[in-house]
Amino acid sequence: MPDSAGARRPYLQPLSRSWWLKHSFFLRYMLREATVLPLLFFCGCLLAGLYSLSQGESQYQSWLAFMAQPWVIALNALVLLASLYHAKTFFELFPRVMPLLPAPLMIAGQWLGTLLVALFLLWLFGAIG
Amino acid sequence: MEKTIIIQRYNPEQDQAPSAKRYQVPFDHSTSVLDALLYIQQQLDPTLAFRWSCRMAICGSCGVMVNKIPKLGCKTFLRDYPAELTISALDHFPIEKDLISDMAVFLDHLQAVKPYLINDSQNTEPHRQTPAQLKKYQKFSSCINCGLCYAACPQFGLNPEFLGPAAIVTAQRYNLDSRDQGKAQRMPQLNGKNGVWACTFVGFCADVCPKQLDPAAAVNQGKVASATDMLISIFKP
Repeated sequence: MPDSAGARRPYLQPLSRSWWLKHSFFLRYMLREATVLPLLFFCGCLLAGLYSLSQGESQYQSWLAFMAQPWVIALNALVLLASLYHAKTFFELFPRVMPLLPAPLMIAGQWLGTLLVALFLLWLFGAIG
Repeated sequence: MEKTIIIQRYNPEQDQAPSAKRYQVPFDHSTSVLDALLYIQQQLDPTLAFRWSCRMAICGSCGVMVNKIPKLGCKTFLRDYPAELTISALDHFPIEKDLISDMAVFLDHLQAVKPYLINDSQNTEPHRQTPAQLKKYQKFSSCINCGLCYAACPQFGLNPEFLGPAAIVTAQRYNLDSRDQGKAQRMPQLNGKNGVWACTFVGFCADVCPKQLDPAAAVNQGKVASATDMLISIFKP
């Protein structure tokens, strides 16, 4: 017969590697964190572009040809989608960390800011206006 | 009308691990999960162990996992679930027996942030507070220490040393109180590696909180406070 202290045998619940598959909330969280992976590809492209620019015109032209390949465009479209999803989650979390104004106003303001910066960059590189 | 309740039972004197047991429980529109557990204990199986007290979502004792989501038994109703639901002890805490968890880790973390007003002034006058000063901390003051946020937090599951949502909410609640002078004593806990920076803003704690006090926001506002505290300490002679 065990004594009263010996009878206590708490069961330690193991946390499995697949904890994030348990429900959709954790899945969405992991998706948010995973948006950085496609972004790595885009950063690689950008760095390769800068390097090729320093190597002369023919190198730069071949980089442009690389970027125009359908699979590269498809991958970069995925990067854009992932970044927009990350922006959406970030913009929604930000008013909770710094509650300066009502949340819907802050979320709308951040999207407006993104749009203005995007329009400015498009104008700067001659794509519009 | 009946529903099937599947309960993860664990008897420390006999079992190596929890195992599922099924019960048929009659229910109507007002039957809560806690009512169902009481029915099972009183009518079907007196050996079932669980905690409860107030039946009105203020004592914070009856936290369990219902279909893998942390819930207060008294605030969760059978009518909102399909024909079967699974109930188990809160995630991330050691299980003492059946649905009873060992909450000692949580209570230690709560104690570590000194959850009380610290004020050394000898002033015997009442501490007056304006509505604006009250508003600063009031939303964080409704924590009932039920521990649901710890069962929701994978960071706490991975590292039980992490102070966790409720303790950080409580630290913020006192730090933001105009009557309190204990912030300097609490900040080392919040700044440490098991403090606010161990949070990755999963945000599930805010979803499961029965008092809707958004622990995730409190923790991440704590990061702002922690960063400010560090900058000030660098430039202060």
